[in-house]
Amino acid sequence: MPRPSSPRLLLLLPTTTYRTAAFVEAARRLGVALTVASDEPSTFESSQPAGLLTLDFAHLDRAVEQAAVFAREHPIAGVVGVDDDTAVLAAVIVERLSAAGELKGNPVTAALAARDKHRQRVLLAEHGVPAPAFELHALEEDPAGLAHRVRYPCVLKPLRLSASRGVMRADDGAGFVSAFGRLKAILKQPDVAACGEPARHFLVEDFVPGVEVALEGLVADGCLRVLALFDKPDPLDGPFFEETIYVTPSRLPERAERAIAACAQAAVTALGIREGPVHAELRHNDRGAWLIELAARPIGGRCGAVLRFETREGGNAKRETLSLEEVVIRHALGMPLTALEREQRAAGVMMIPVPGTGGGVLREVRGVAEARAVPLVEDVAITAHRGQTLVPWPEGSRYPGFIFARGETPEAVEAALRMAHRRLQFVTG
Amino acid sequence: MNPDEIRITAEPIDTARCKFLVSQPLHTAGVRRFSSPEEAKGSPLAEAIFAIPGAAVAELIVSGNLITVVKGSATPWPAVGKSIGAAIRSALASGAPPIAPKPAAAVADDDTLYDRVAGLFDSEVNPMVARHGGRVELIDVQDAVVMLRMGGGCQGCGMADVTLRQGIEAMLQQHVPEVKGVVDITDHSAGTDPYFAAAKK
Repeated sequence: MPRPSSPRLLLLLPTTTYRTAAFVEAARRLGVALTVASDEPSTFESSQPAGLLTLDFAHLDRAVEQAAVFAREHPIAGVVGVDDDTAVLAAVIVERLSAAGELKGNPVTAALAARDKHRQRVLLAEHGVPAPAFELHALEEDPAGLAHRVRYPCVLKPLRLSASRGVMRADDGAGFVSAFGRLKAILKQPDVAACGEPARHFLVEDFVPGVEVALEGLVADGCLRVLALFDKPDPLDGPFFEETIYVTPSRLPERAERAIAACAQAAVTALGIREGPVHAELRHNDRGAWLIELAARPIGGRCGAVLRFETREGGNAKRETLSLEEVVIRHALGMPLTALEREQRAAGVMMIPVPGTGGGVLREVRGVAEARAVPLVEDVAITAHRGQTLVPWPEGSRYPGFIFARGETPEAVEAALRMAHRRLQFVTG
Repeated sequence: MNPDEIRITAEPIDTARCKFLVSQPLHTAGVRRFSSPEEAKGSPLAEAIFAIPGAAVAELIVSGNLITVVKGSATPWPAVGKSIGAAIRSALASGAPPIAPKPAAAVADDDTLYDRVAGLFDSEVNPMVARHGGRVELIDVQDAVVMLRMGGGCQGCGMADVTLRQGIEAMLQQHVPEVKGVVDITDHSAGTDPYFAAAKK
């Protein structure tokens, strides 16, 4: 229970996020006063007006006004967004409530650039950060004509969607026209079209060969601290780019890791990010590190659960174990985070792929107990519910579940994740 | 009882909490919660689980065929689970009750709290969650800790933790301040109609 003098955190949680439990429990462990702001009203909001708030996430001006009214009665000491959209809203709220810079946050322009893949690429190019060459195109353009002009292999990419939804590789003209048609259908779906102008355009960019990694970091006063570097041992060469396994620490040579960290720092500087978590996807090949995406938010899905950190504050010899969410909240509230290291053990997560090629309605998941029994596996979390329609990539963006493992080496962790996955059977119909 | 006939399924909730579903009942007289080895004295199964080396067991909740274990160590559940499974089999095979009945004095205090919490659930909590097709069942009150189970739209809902901590627990703090904590024993993975389903990466 928070103390009466506890600082108040405004946590921006979309109702569709996977991250609710991790952030709410982290706030409880830290003993902070918590206000959860969401895009749909909680049925308890009228009885708990300090702890629950509804903000119009779709209209920033209205949302920030609602937050400002709330803050007059309940002063806010920090704001945390958990996804691309709420990271932008957090920046807008901080800017409004923190005229003297007393709240930690990003400039709104930086948060917007991190969310918009085109704006991001323009800034990266202007600052000389290695990134795929790109062109912006409109859905109204003639795909056959475009197919003659673009360079192959290329990647078609929506401007706003997450989880690699809608991202497709094309190796020739026929492949491009096919991918264009699929992307157009995705961008016309009501939930996507609702974001307006960004859903009417897309990027065509060079396919960058090489190994892909994910970098989890924390930015303080514009300086990036790498919290973890994840290998992605399954090649992400297309035609779709559904994530599967993340394992940390990376097995890349130290020199490559340094190049990746430097590239990510250059991207942070180019976008103007000043504070808070970042999650970046990068590639590395014989020409060095390449920035593929950088988001001003922590890692998505349930994946944050694989990260544990140890801290030693001041002269206190007692080591404290923190979750990623605790690190993010502590940073937002200006709580000390001096000596922070990821735990010594290797850790990994598998985002369970949608089974088969056509998905289907989930009827049953078999073998969960057997998968949990695999040595080094810590948990198998099935997040899809019975009756849920599983949609494969590139149209889909919801993993049916996650497998977590921890062990002495990245190799052992990766093997455990694969073995556990082999024991699962998704029955669809 | 032959220990080999006892089937146990472990379902980790997170790195700290894990449910063990046992094919035989462990405690049929309601729910018992233990938050220290001292409280476990007299209950052979609870004593044995608290004594597992390196697990740093912090809490046990036993009800019917289900036991929920909360640990403080970073040891993974597959390693700790083997010792817990052995303790369960040993306790059941002995023939003695694995869990002792709740002490009478505690029952009286908890019964009073139970009635007040049940009244709050009936008058305030359930009408609120019903607006999202949900329901909340009061399972028991043990040592002033409320155990509840969510159903309907709350079971598996992406915002269930917000409902639990920012809604139900906050209301209990206001209306029944003697309550020391709230434990959700819902199997959220079995929810078939959550009001909010997680969708983004």
